[in-house]
Amino acid sequence: MQLKKVLTLRTVVATSAGLTLATSTFVAAVQVAGYVLGDTAWIAILTGGILCFLAAACFSELNGLLPTANGIRLYFSRAFNDQVSLTVSILYMTIVIVGVVGAESYVLSRVLGEVFPAVPPYMWVVLLLLLVTLMNIRGLKIAGVFQDVITYGLLASLMVISLLALHKGNFQLNAPFAPGGASGLINAVALGVFLFVGFEWVTPLAEEVTKVKQISKGMMIALGLLSVTYAVFTVAMTVAVPKDVLVASAAPHMVFARTLLGGPGAAWMVAISLAASVTTFNAGMLSVSRFMYASAREHVLPAVFSRVSMRFFTPWVSIVALFFVSLTVAGVILLTHRYLVLLKLAAAMESIVYVLAGLAVINLRRRMPDSPRPYKIKGGLVIPVLTVVVFAPLALAVLYTDLWALIDLAAAFLVCLIYVNTAVPYLKKKYEARKPAGRRRPSRTTGEGGMEEN
Amino acid sequence: MATHLEITESLKVFQDNYNSNQRLKIMNRDWNRVVVIKATDIESLNTFIVQDGLVSIKEGALENPDLTVISDSETLADMFYGDITPTEPYNNGTLRIIGQEDDIIRLDFISLMIWGE
Repeated sequence: MQLKKVLTLRTVVATSAGLTLATSTFVAAVQVAGYVLGDTAWIAILTGGILCFLAAACFSELNGLLPTANGIRLYFSRAFNDQVSLTVSILYMTIVIVGVVGAESYVLSRVLGEVFPAVPPYMWVVLLLLLVTLMNIRGLKIAGVFQDVITYGLLASLMVISLLALHKGNFQLNAPFAPGGASGLINAVALGVFLFVGFEWVTPLAEEVTKVKQISKGMMIALGLLSVTYAVFTVAMTVAVPKDVLVASAAPHMVFARTLLGGPGAAWMVAISLAASVTTFNAGMLSVSRFMYASAREHVLPAVFSRVSMRFFTPWVSIVALFFVSLTVAGVILLTHRYLVLLKLAAAMESIVYVLAGLAVINLRRRMPDSPRPYKIKGGLVIPVLTVVVFAPLALAVLYTDLWALIDLAAAFLVCLIYVNTAVPYLKKKYEARKPAGRRRPSRTTGEGGMEEN
Repeated sequence: MATHLEITESLKVFQDNYNSNQRLKIMNRDWNRVVVIKATDIESLNTFIVQDGLVSIKEGALENPDLTVISDSETLADMFYGDITPTEPYNNGTLRIIGQEDDIIRLDFISLMIWGE
């Protein structure tokens, strides 16, 4: 049986890379550069990218074994248990929405504030969130060819502007092979993981491709493209603008574009930022609202979140709720200016999820040894174990350098744990009490004795 | 383990409930889809067709479906009789649906409209 509509590898790559490309990644890239000496950020970024290949291999095996739009919710439920899976999924979704919306809206409002200083920064966030909310309620998706054009256009733009900067600097780099001490490099790599946050969010497309292997291939190609683009772009930024100026700015890519090409450069970068932010906001809202809908359907969240628009068949209550949560998060970050904590929080959470993905591969090899695996990581348990061994210290490194990120993560984990252990059983009990007492399916009698099976 | 007949009967019950729901018929008048229902533990293939808002069922699998619903026979029968929601088996991996995400949500919503929470 062949499905009528299928996604191509090109679109899988574009979706994976598109989910990752965000305006806040430019800020993270500059922070990475700040941890190492000279123009050596490329070493940390490429290392981060290569390490993400380990996690991508684990996600590929899990996705082949359990091809589902549910992603980690199902992988972790099968590998560990439902409680772990639910706690991690809720925590992950919360941190993603808070991290992505908070950091992204802050950076974007700074970018637009530079071009239109008369407009209050919060106004831009409200407008952008309204646009994305309406797109989601109407069910308009950035998908297929449109996603391809945006992602490949963004990647090409970043490469062109980088090459212009490097050309202007006669391709002269400052100590490109001497990153300095090990601790700086470890922190740079740990934060560098943030640059790739979301590459694995393409796994829910497993149900829309004919060959599950296309997802693995797409993730790997996207990681390769992103690693090279980010590495070149970050080095180009540090070549064109002094590093301390970049690190001190909330919109370093704007400083870079303006230094390089003046007004037209700034306009070009605004266009890049807007495209990157809209796709990121949209992907975040789409994924989290669908997660909320599915959670409400399995009585993990209140039933109101499963309400679907009769006209557009979209979970409008979840989308509207997310809109207000996003407005609040963006408001708090604009007031406190603590956007860097969110970048570190997201980087740490992502590393933790990668650790769990590695452990899930190991556990599922034991629990489901005979299940078909269209993609099986070669070399036994070496790569899953390496994923655990590499990403656990990286998560710790990020949390060690930022006490607020550690406190926020611990608090969020505690809240999720309490919710899963108190509110979820209550909601499930409430549902059981409402359920019809009898079964609709008629009872079946088997054999001559007439014993009922149901 | 449910039989092929039971799955077919469950689909007929689902079809009757759907076709007697005016709201669903209006809402899906432009949503023409072919859905193949396949059991993993017994030989059972059915096709569920939504055309101009009405549902019809055919035995066997049609070529080029928009969606393919795959699960064990018990889950399929229970699900189409409305004794369990699709979300539960979907979330625990017992139920697989191959197709576009929007179509999967619509299918789940149809089940919600017919059987409630």
